[in-house]
Amino acid sequence: MSTLSPPVSERDHVVGPADARVTLVEYGDFECPYCGALHPVVQAARKSFGGNLRFAFRHFPLRSSHPHALAAAKAAEAAGEQGKFWEMYDRLYRRQTELTDTDLERHARELGLDVDRFRGSLGERAHEVRIREDLASASQSGAKGTPSLFINGEFYEGPLEREAIFAALARAALAVVP
Amino acid sequence: MAQHRMSSETARTAAREIGRLTVLRLTAYYVMVGILIMCLSALLPLGSIGPIPAEPPADMQGAIEWFKGQVAVFPMGAPVWLDALFQMIAAFLLVLPLAFVYVRTRTRVKFDHSLVQTVIVLPIVVTAILVVVRDSLALAFSLAGIVAAVRFRNTLKESGDAVYIFGSIGIGFATGIHAISVAGVLSVVFVVVELALWKFDFSAEFERTFARLCLPSSADMTDVPGYRDEPAPAGNGAGQAHPDRDGAGRSALLRIYVDQVDAARPKIEAVLERDAKRWMLEQIVAGTGNTPQLTYRVRAKKSVGLDALREHLLRDAAPHVVAADAPES
Repeated sequence: MSTLSPPVSERDHVVGPADARVTLVEYGDFECPYCGALHPVVQAARKSFGGNLRFAFRHFPLRSSHPHALAAAKAAEAAGEQGKFWEMYDRLYRRQTELTDTDLERHARELGLDVDRFRGSLGERAHEVRIREDLASASQSGAKGTPSLFINGEFYEGPLEREAIFAALARAALAVVP
Repeated sequence: MAQHRMSSETARTAAREIGRLTVLRLTAYYVMVGILIMCLSALLPLGSIGPIPAEPPADMQGAIEWFKGQVAVFPMGAPVWLDALFQMIAAFLLVLPLAFVYVRTRTRVKFDHSLVQTVIVLPIVVTAILVVVRDSLALAFSLAGIVAAVRFRNTLKESGDAVYIFGSIGIGFATGIHAISVAGVLSVVFVVVELALWKFDFSAEFERTFARLCLPSSADMTDVPGYRDEPAPAGNGAGQAHPDRDGAGRSALLRIYVDQVDAARPKIEAVLERDAKRWMLEQIVAGTGNTPQLTYRVRAKKSVGLDALREHLLRDAAPHVVAADAPES
């Protein structure tokens, strides 16, 4: 079974308490329809597990099949620079058909970001480096496609359905003695 | 421990939203059908039209008849087959909203797709039968004989489905005797009443229905149990239900993931007893190979709300509870 490498650290985009019983990591692509379908499940899991769940997101843009995926990942990073990574993440998944450069700027404006700063930030090398690091970690962890999930560091191989994912998360949480 | 019961109908109110767009679409549909039927009536006047004067008469009725005569394709009355076709089209157009309302108001469990088709086809057949029978007493008796000889027996899933069958027959009957206006009125009234009863879940809870019907309008309804859960008026948009506004967002099926059913259950039910207005245990999943789960039908107290109730379950029933999922939300 594949293991997450490197483990979740401060460099990751994380939401949820550090002492949560279960950590869920998603390797995702904002243009991937399967990731889009998984998004509401992840949101529901965050709500249902509350403080028992910590969620981390790593970029895995499939540039060969999704022409806007890399730009969307950079947009999320640029929004993160202004403290709104998760707002942009949520918006990009909800509007997967609106990922052109014009759309990304509109998303930034509607999220209340400084658009000039956002525009300048899109081309920053630091974001590209970070995305490349995420891609390298995906390869290192054995993630071959999107979405790939890791629950408490272990690759999740089950179906991407709410009930199955929730059951796996619950099993992982119960395996940890609080 | 007292266990409150709650009907599954009440829990379904979360989905009982009639969007403004739906109302607009239905209204636009009826307007278009009305215009179409009026145009067809002008093109294919039913019955004979007398000699048409060259100039329109001064009175309004005469002018309408004159106009009909001018645009009529068959000014001396349509052939029977065309007359029948026209009436069947009218029956079909007027029954479609009934089928829509049936689909909209039924859950997946109660939905019967064959009934939708029946509701659509039935008025067409009834119209055709009435066109054939017309004023013939002999044919009417023959029809009665045929109906008596053939046994039509079918068990409907829902007793309310019979109303749709009757509504459908009513529309077919009305169009079959050229009373298209009556069919139109029946269709509109049926759709409005059915949607309203469904939306307000009328009579689902005794207290609320009693308060609505039996207390004076000036009475303080806040003292009536259940009345505070009054749903918002229809047509308030297709947005999600607001828990504090209409109470719909406070009902849910909660699937609670636990470590041990026996240890978790008393803690969970203590929270529900405190934070839920009603709750009922629906299912226990336990045993080797399964993640232990307890499934409850819950209606949160208004002062608490469903989201807070879920948080309280995680907090107060810890460490036994690891998640409280609302899979229908």
